[in-house]
Amino acid sequence: MKKLKLSQDLEYIFSLALSVILALIIGAIIILANGKSPFTAYAALINGALGSPYKIATTFAKTVPLILTGLATAVAFSSGIFNIGGEGQLYLGAFAAAYVGFTFTNLPGIAGIPLALIFAALAGGFYALVPALLKVKYGIDEVITTIMFNSIATLFTSYLANYPFASSVGKMGATEMIAPAYKLLRLVARSKLHTGIFYTALIALFIYYLMEKTSAGYDFKMIGSNPIFARYGGINAERNMVIAMIISGALCGIAGAFEVLGNHYRFLQAISPGYAFDGMLVSLIVKNNVLGVILMSIFFGMLKTGSIAMEYETAIPSELVLVIQSIIILFIAGEKGFANILRRIYAKEGAGQDV
Amino acid sequence: MGESIIKLVGITKVFPGVVANDNVNLEIREGEIHAIVGENGAGKSTLMKIIYGLYQPTDGQIYIRGRLTNVTNPQVAIKNGIGMVHQHFMLVPSFTAAENLVLGSEPQKNGLFMDFDKAVKITKELSEKYGLYVDPYQKVEDLSVGIQQRIEILKVLYRGADILILDEPTAVLTPQESQELFAIMRRLVEDMGKTIIIITHKLQEVLEVSHRVSVMRRGKLVGTMDTRDATEQILAEMMVGKEVVFEKFHANQNIGEKLLEVRDLVVRDNRGFIAVDGVSFSIAAGEILGVAGVEGNGQTELVEALTGLRKLEEGSIFVKGRDMAKGSPSDFRRMGIAHIPEDRLKTGLAPEASVNENLMMGYQHKKPYEGLGMKLNKKAISQKTAQLIRQFDIRTPSGQTRVKSLSGGNMQKLVVAREFSFDSPILIIAQPTRGLDVGAIEFIHRLIIDMRDAGRAILLVSADLDEIFRLSDRIVTIYEGKLTGEFRTADVTKQEIGLYMTGKNLSTAG
Repeated sequence: MKKLKLSQDLEYIFSLALSVILALIIGAIIILANGKSPFTAYAALINGALGSPYKIATTFAKTVPLILTGLATAVAFSSGIFNIGGEGQLYLGAFAAAYVGFTFTNLPGIAGIPLALIFAALAGGFYALVPALLKVKYGIDEVITTIMFNSIATLFTSYLANYPFASSVGKMGATEMIAPAYKLLRLVARSKLHTGIFYTALIALFIYYLMEKTSAGYDFKMIGSNPIFARYGGINAERNMVIAMIISGALCGIAGAFEVLGNHYRFLQAISPGYAFDGMLVSLIVKNNVLGVILMSIFFGMLKTGSIAMEYETAIPSELVLVIQSIIILFIAGEKGFANILRRIYAKEGAGQDV
Repeated sequence: MGESIIKLVGITKVFPGVVANDNVNLEIREGEIHAIVGENGAGKSTLMKIIYGLYQPTDGQIYIRGRLTNVTNPQVAIKNGIGMVHQHFMLVPSFTAAENLVLGSEPQKNGLFMDFDKAVKITKELSEKYGLYVDPYQKVEDLSVGIQQRIEILKVLYRGADILILDEPTAVLTPQESQELFAIMRRLVEDMGKTIIIITHKLQEVLEVSHRVSVMRRGKLVGTMDTRDATEQILAEMMVGKEVVFEKFHANQNIGEKLLEVRDLVVRDNRGFIAVDGVSFSIAAGEILGVAGVEGNGQTELVEALTGLRKLEEGSIFVKGRDMAKGSPSDFRRMGIAHIPEDRLKTGLAPEASVNENLMMGYQHKKPYEGLGMKLNKKAISQKTAQLIRQFDIRTPSGQTRVKSLSGGNMQKLVVAREFSFDSPILIIAQPTRGLDVGAIEFIHRLIIDMRDAGRAILLVSADLDEIFRLSDRIVTIYEGKLTGEFRTADVTKQEIGLYMTGKNLSTAG
């Protein structure tokens, strides 16, 4: 009886595992239908994601933006404010980092990199602040405003990269390169894994501490759980929502900064293929749980990396991974159903014991 | 008056932990306006929802026009000519009156598209036939509540109802709109041969509009009588009952200084209407002031204003002499006001969160529960919550259990445990025992009395008159946002209070 809360969490983990397994089985059926062997395909996928230091590094490189944008979603959503504007915040953060990198070219890396990250966090955080204030002051739905703000930010940074800050080398929708001191060290030869993973780990640790161990995290979660109760209990819901939104935006901004400092070394007008939306999916799948975001991000990173190897080796299109991801999400939406199945099995066992 | 058109035999409805209807026998005759009165929670709405097929009775039979009918869902009820107008309208605000009217059984064109012209025509015809005038082209969001109600009634008639159930139809209406509604009801019955069941707790309305009246109390049908034989006095007595279920508590002799004072308080409700209209009172340490009134007469807004959850329009609230007019909920809490809200699930708890998380609300920023770097002291918190669980006898598998899986009584004990544990000198308590069983009621009543004896100033708002009488030292009655009377509990009877809280003697507070 003592483990009731645990068992509810276990129920969720069970449904999640079941969803993943079912999705992989359906994926296997699709592979079979195409006349290929699912075993070789999945073996190639796993090997492609984890088969060598280079492959592991690539997996983790893909994990970095997912973790940051996933945590951004987790912080906002569990505080009851829905930040769908991560992509725009990421673009502004990326541009801010690039701006620092190609403007203050004389700074050493040890000062420059933190400065670039701070600028990126400020840009993302400030950009998230606007819809947050519109929500708490005027009741304007943040879902709508943040979605619209995405377009504004991507188009605005695109303008900046094409006109005022365009690279001197041709018109390519990119800014100047950042100074060499800003470039994050690559960790494994040829892979894109950079020292940003350590910053990301630190940030994840901080967010975990904030959300799970502090009174601020408690306040956030109570607002998300029942805002009327939070207000009744004396929590300033409006202020806390704004703070959660700023943190969320800052995390997205930092995710953008790493794309510049560790990956492209300049701002590009299409620097993110929708990382913030991927992160949002990750967070939603694990119900905005911080630990869950980290684990699920790694899993999605594996799928992404492995799918390319799979396509190369077995000629199964890497889009299969998108199908699998979508099926997981579909099943997770039916989580209650799985939990009920589990409960029924439990009930039967319990009844058996009673006799 | 005609034959029996609906007959309920031995209807019983049990919800987990609550008997909402207890062996109810009721007969509705064809062509009558039958009023059903009772306090909140008396089981009126449940009974009507059973007739309309929204609930299934645990026991008992329903006869419609003499035939035993199993009303498994509202479609069955509609097929049998029963229509219900709910207290909260179920209209689509952005649709026109005509569109709303036909919604669910729209006239069609070419078997595929909705025929808007026909919908308008239907609306006009029905409007004229029943004398319920609405503009078919106007959007519902632009219409007054009274007109919206007409659309609801027309909608029920459009679906061919002969028996109309109106659930608290006047609760949302102005007095003029109420008069219009009564005229419509009479016309429907006298000219069109319809039968109407009206749920209300306003006794004057019953006497004015109904032919017969049934009184419900605590799930039981107390009696049915011809309205011409009834008086407000008789009905009020039947509504509030006479028996004293509980032993009386001793009175407190040690009345201290004034802790809470309210002057000329004016508060608006969510729709912007005046809900609390010039209310003044004060409460001293060691005293319980009971607010008696039928629900929806401003109690909710009064309590919210007194806890900082709702903005004041005018007037002042003094807590220990300090004006709190612009205070936030946390200011009120800091000044020593604890609050047991009327709706524990909506306001008093986070049902998805754990027992411990719900108990620690209010402690999270206090030492020793919060340490350096805002770090929560898990040990101190779990000690505190374990102590509260033990002390207030909250039956829960563990502190980690989600609150939504507790029983209503244990949820309420959780709220009481938290709010009483702050040592706040002023307690604002609303509906503390709603829906609880006798054991839990007794437990919570004793706790409230202990708090009073410990020198707290307590405001008790309750729709349960027995509760008010048992606990209060003084009683004020509230009707339409105004205090209609103030009494020492020892000097007044329930019947008198019953009259004051249903709008009689509308004078200023004594």
